[in-house]
Amino acid sequence: MLQPVDALLRCEGRHRIGGMDIPWGQLLVMIGAGGFVYGIVMGSYAGRPLQALYSGIKVPLFLGVSTMICLPSFYVICALLGLRSDFSAAFRGILAAQATLTLCLASLAPITEVIYLSIDHYQLATLINGLQFALATIGGQWTLARHYYPLIQANPRHRLAKSTWLVVYIFVAIQMAWVLRPFIGAPSLTPSFFREDALSNAYVVVTQTILEVLGLPAR
Amino acid sequence: MKRLFSTVDGLLRGEYTSPEQLREGRVGVDLRLLIGAGLVLGATYGVFMGLYAALRPANSSLAQLLATTAKVPLLFLATLAVTLPSLYVFSALAGSRLRFVETLRLLLVGIVVDMALLASFGPVTGFFTLSTESYPFMIVLNVVCFTVGGLAGLIVIYRALGVVVGGEEKQREPIPDDSSFRVPPPSKARGIFLAWAMIYGAVGAQMGWILRPFIGAPDLPFTLFRERQSNFFEAFFATLRQLFT
Repeated sequence: MLQPVDALLRCEGRHRIGGMDIPWGQLLVMIGAGGFVYGIVMGSYAGRPLQALYSGIKVPLFLGVSTMICLPSFYVICALLGLRSDFSAAFRGILAAQATLTLCLASLAPITEVIYLSIDHYQLATLINGLQFALATIGGQWTLARHYYPLIQANPRHRLAKSTWLVVYIFVAIQMAWVLRPFIGAPSLTPSFFREDALSNAYVVVTQTILEVLGLPAR
Repeated sequence: MKRLFSTVDGLLRGEYTSPEQLREGRVGVDLRLLIGAGLVLGATYGVFMGLYAALRPANSSLAQLLATTAKVPLLFLATLAVTLPSLYVFSALAGSRLRFVETLRLLLVGIVVDMALLASFGPVTGFFTLSTESYPFMIVLNVVCFTVGGLAGLIVIYRALGVVVGGEEKQREPIPDDSSFRVPPPSKARGIFLAWAMIYGAVGAQMGWILRPFIGAPDLPFTLFRERQSNFFEAFFATLRQLFT
């Protein structure tokens, strides 16, 4: 069972750099399973199984839907940059990076659980999860960079395509995370799939919070 | 429809604006297909853009959705109609190899590329429409999407002008295999392009202002067109202030 995981992390076998086919089944199972495992742990902060289950569903959902929303613009940008023939290889790299990210998250899940057991501070739990996601993102970027290396060597325009992908993806993913919250579940609130004010805007809220902190008038 | 999509794919890959074709003074794509692609892609983004009005809890307006679906392609075609004569005249004066119909084709290629990028941003706009109530944010997001799409279209035209307005010396230079990407546009072409791009951008923005509303302010009832007042740039900066204060 660990063979595909090992192959992905080492970029070997069906997951080798420059391979022709996209191992859809393996990658989707890894994204789903890895995200689900971390989500379960992430939502277990207050010891409520229902919140853990919700978060288990939401973590892979968060990654998958964000990717799908950004994919059309990535395709068009690749085509515009004259990289249409490499789109499949680039997309293969993106999927591999997403799978690596979720595997990293799953591998960090026991650490998160241990920290949960040793703290009683919701803000600290949020911070820890933020750090875990940052670490897992570095892992994902590592895989993406390995898949992109031969592409950039062959055509430096891939660097621009990759940067554009990251900008659009991060922009969407931040709002997606905001919409899909709670992931941890504040102990004072009942478990829920979405918050009551789910349909608000992360960027507007953050800007207004910063303005409030700076003592500037906010709406 | 399949032919339409394969044409768009070819346009994005620069198949119809290769230096070889441009130096012969032709843009080898059917005018009707270009217009069809522009209409379909523009309408696609229009649906996502108009979704905000259709889904808002108070004052929901399906009419706004339909109007926006029609207005987005109209905006581009109207801007094209206004700016085509000036580009043709000045590029011809500068010695462009493209005749009037070919110039029209080239501009339509730029517009279709613009709208293809815009349509590909549709899911992003749709997602933010579903997840935000902030009207100023939606305005800024749409302006950013239109700007990015517009820049992509202008880059395509810029590269093509670099080839068609090239002097005799440039004509003799070997053409790189991987499209016009590395062909340095002569200064004459650059000058024409910069002047025309500024006119195109300003006319496009003001045309958008004339054709508004596109998104539909939540506190206003549906109207096909708003009264004449202010201008695009003044309104956009006012929206930015509103968003961050």
